[in-house]
Amino acid sequence: MIVQTLGAFLAVFSFGLILELPRKHLVLAGTIGAIGWMIYLLADRISGSPVTAAFVSSLAVSLSSHGAARVKKAPVTVFLVAGILPSVPGASIYRSVSCVINNEPQLSIHYLVETLQIAGAIALAVFLMDSLFRLGRESGKPKKASFP
Amino acid sequence: MNDKMLVETAVLAGEIMLTSGAEIYRVEDTIRRMLEMAEMDKVEAIVFSTGIFVSLGRLDGETITVVKRVKARSSNLNRVYLVNDVSRSYCSGQLTVEEAYAKLKEIQNKLQYRDWMKILGTIGVAAFFALLLGAGPVEWLAAAATGAILALVSRKLEKAGLNNFCVNVGCAFSVAVTALILEMVIPEMNADTVITSAIMPLVPGVIFTTAIRDMLNGDYLSGSARIMEAVVIALAVAAGVGAGMAGIQWFLGGGRI
Repeated sequence: MIVQTLGAFLAVFSFGLILELPRKHLVLAGTIGAIGWMIYLLADRISGSPVTAAFVSSLAVSLSSHGAARVKKAPVTVFLVAGILPSVPGASIYRSVSCVINNEPQLSIHYLVETLQIAGAIALAVFLMDSLFRLGRESGKPKKASFP
Repeated sequence: MNDKMLVETAVLAGEIMLTSGAEIYRVEDTIRRMLEMAEMDKVEAIVFSTGIFVSLGRLDGETITVVKRVKARSSNLNRVYLVNDVSRSYCSGQLTVEEAYAKLKEIQNKLQYRDWMKILGTIGVAAFFALLLGAGPVEWLAAAATGAILALVSRKLEKAGLNNFCVNVGCAFSVAVTALILEMVIPEMNADTVITSAIMPLVPGVIFTTAIRDMLNGDYLSGSARIMEAVVIALAVAAGVGAGMAGIQWFLGGGRI
């Protein structure tokens, strides 16, 4: 699991190069990705469902991205979009296609639904955290001249 | 203060952010904050994924309106970050409009990483994703090699001037074919893991995440446009991988389907 977490760090770090992530935030983004993946692995082991795991890990990634954005005074997007990468359902998309090719339409539909469920779980997690942080911003600070 | 200059500066800031893949809410917010520094009665900013409309004026005077069509879109988080910084320092009074404009012009074409570093990034995503999925060293190396092919093919196809859909299909196709050929050479390799890892740079996770955040902020038009973009890219990747796998099977089967 340590090796896999390290893999997540390096994968998100490399992804940051493609996305032109600001150089000084590369390591932090990688760390957020690694934390997210570690939580994914743990949640997957406990619940046995990739959808739950994607949900919990996206929740963790969003939370730490919002935190990092506030501390570093950078847009949330910078940390969020790279950190979410490991949970993105690339594997399910692939399996769905490969089942079509191997003439297993039932299984293919199963994986297609799984893809949509994981995408939905990620969406819900990002939604939740965004709303939560918005709540804090609106009530916590006076309306004048505060930058998100 | 020169209002015309301020509007141009704010639109430029918005344009850079929009072309770099920022959320609509952030673009509108940045433009509005910059324009509010002029303390006019009317400040309006409407941003769609394809264009920007900005209006600034007094109730009893002239109104300046600028419309900007935005075409190219890509992911460049550094530009979003830098423009955010410039707008922050402008709004806190550390920069004049002219200074802000000059800085934005500098940011507009700024690239942090050279091309070979991006190729390395693509290889890295593929290779380390295999590691992340818990694959062995054989898959790890194969994924890196497939990632390298993917980076080269995507560069070639983009230079050839194909549209995005075809580029994605071509890239995914090359990934599937490369991985399956490698599996023939090294039978103990698991091609599934290699293909899954190597398509990760293509899968539209970033667009999807931004789309969700647009929707949450009430920008349904841009949000649904981005969702559609993500769906189309995912379909292109699926079609490419499927075509690659079917092609190899057909080839192995001696040309019969």
